[in-house]
Amino acid sequence: MKTSPVKLWRRQKDIISVIGKRGKILLWTIIRVPAKSFVDQAPYPVVIVRMDDGKKMVGQLVDYEKENLVAGQKVQAVLRRLKTEGKEDAIYYHIKFKPL
Amino acid sequence: MYSMKINILGTATTKFGELWDVSPRELAREAMHDALDASGLKPFQVDALFVGNMLSGILGNQTNLASLIVEELGAQVPAFRLEGACASGGLALHNAINSLNAGKYKTVLVLGLEKMTDHSQDEITSALSAAGSDEERMAGATFPGIYALMAQAYMREYNIDEETLATISVKNHYHGSLNPKAQFQSPITVADVMKSPKIADPLKLLDCSPVSDGASAVVITSDSSIKTKKPVSIIASEVATDTLSLYNRKSFTSLSAVVNASQKAYQEAGLKPTDVDVAEIHDCFSISEAIAVEDLGFSKKGEGAKDIAKNKMTLFKGKIICNPSGGLKACGHPVGATGIKQIVEITEQLRGEAGKRQVKSAKIGLAHNVGGSGAVAAIHILKGNS
Repeated sequence: MKTSPVKLWRRQKDIISVIGKRGKILLWTIIRVPAKSFVDQAPYPVVIVRMDDGKKMVGQLVDYEKENLVAGQKVQAVLRRLKTEGKEDAIYYHIKFKPL
Repeated sequence: MYSMKINILGTATTKFGELWDVSPRELAREAMHDALDASGLKPFQVDALFVGNMLSGILGNQTNLASLIVEELGAQVPAFRLEGACASGGLALHNAINSLNAGKYKTVLVLGLEKMTDHSQDEITSALSAAGSDEERMAGATFPGIYALMAQAYMREYNIDEETLATISVKNHYHGSLNPKAQFQSPITVADVMKSPKIADPLKLLDCSPVSDGASAVVITSDSSIKTKKPVSIIASEVATDTLSLYNRKSFTSLSAVVNASQKAYQEAGLKPTDVDVAEIHDCFSISEAIAVEDLGFSKKGEGAKDIAKNKMTLFKGKIICNPSGGLKACGHPVGATGIKQIVEITEQLRGEAGKRQVKSAKIGLAHNVGGSGAVAAIHILKGNS
């Protein structure tokens, strides 16, 4: 489904406020059968992270090695292209996590 | 003690499976008319129709579903569609019961319906993701992925291995092998589960319920003048909710919606968990049943998977028999139909009409229906009177 550009625009302030923040992995999995717009990236890890400010977040783990898939791994929030859009869609950037 | 006076008159379910030659209309027609026949009623004798369905809008491009289904009923009664992901069936039944308790209607038909296999795997995966939150969807977390995170938390917290979880699917396939309506009727082994392809680590294909088509229907009444041979009563109907997302919850190894709805239901019925003889559990994944039997009070915290592995919930061996139908895993999971199929199964068990999978002298049955990753739960308790 197309993503509304209005929705993208509305979310940018939330995204900006998280970029660069750090936390630790609580739980991880590897998605091997993804939804349509993530097919190009599979398999990919998804992690639940406890940020240093105590809040929890969920996101993809990028730029990782196998040994990074462990509870307690330090990560940082980075801005990345989210998924494969349709030809008419706005390009979608979102928070993902990379190991530190 | 319970105060509700609602009786089940008749039930029916279609075969569950990959039913490529059958349309959603045909599924609905078969389930509704079979349930009416079983009740000895004609379509015009029901006051209203409640339909539980999740995906007709997103997959079938139909968001006026209840009106469509009324055409197949053949009586222009008030009709409502209820949607709460995989708990759509349970929510439809709960709202139907509320309408009877309010005195608005006396006899109503409740249908659960889903047609999934007309669509490709990635379309279905995307559509089912609609049960989750934006945050989890944007993380690329599929529905199995979210339950995989729960599985990892559970296995770590209680030191459970993948083989122990696998016994849940083994049990449910054994039960499914005794159910002629089940999608899968062949037993499987722990080794089969372990060598099946990974879907979202640590969950493998045989830890996951399938994509299915099917419809189930029940006729319920508050009219005590309508007599049935083997009456079954609904003595508790409760719904509770939680956050849509998993990631920001306090616990990853318990679903508070299930705990809250079941505690209210036990109170409403004047019963405790050990009074239950037979239960239909929402085992969308193996991990779901392990957590469910703990949240429902059948097992101690951390003991659910181990109890199932020890055959404590297996037909002819256990005390509280879980998923005699085969559950979502083996009977199939047409998402909107599941909550109603559970009621059909419990009713057959309490009437002593479950054939090869009959739970001996079952008096009290419980149906546990969950939507999303525990965002909503519907619990029904049924009592046999024969």
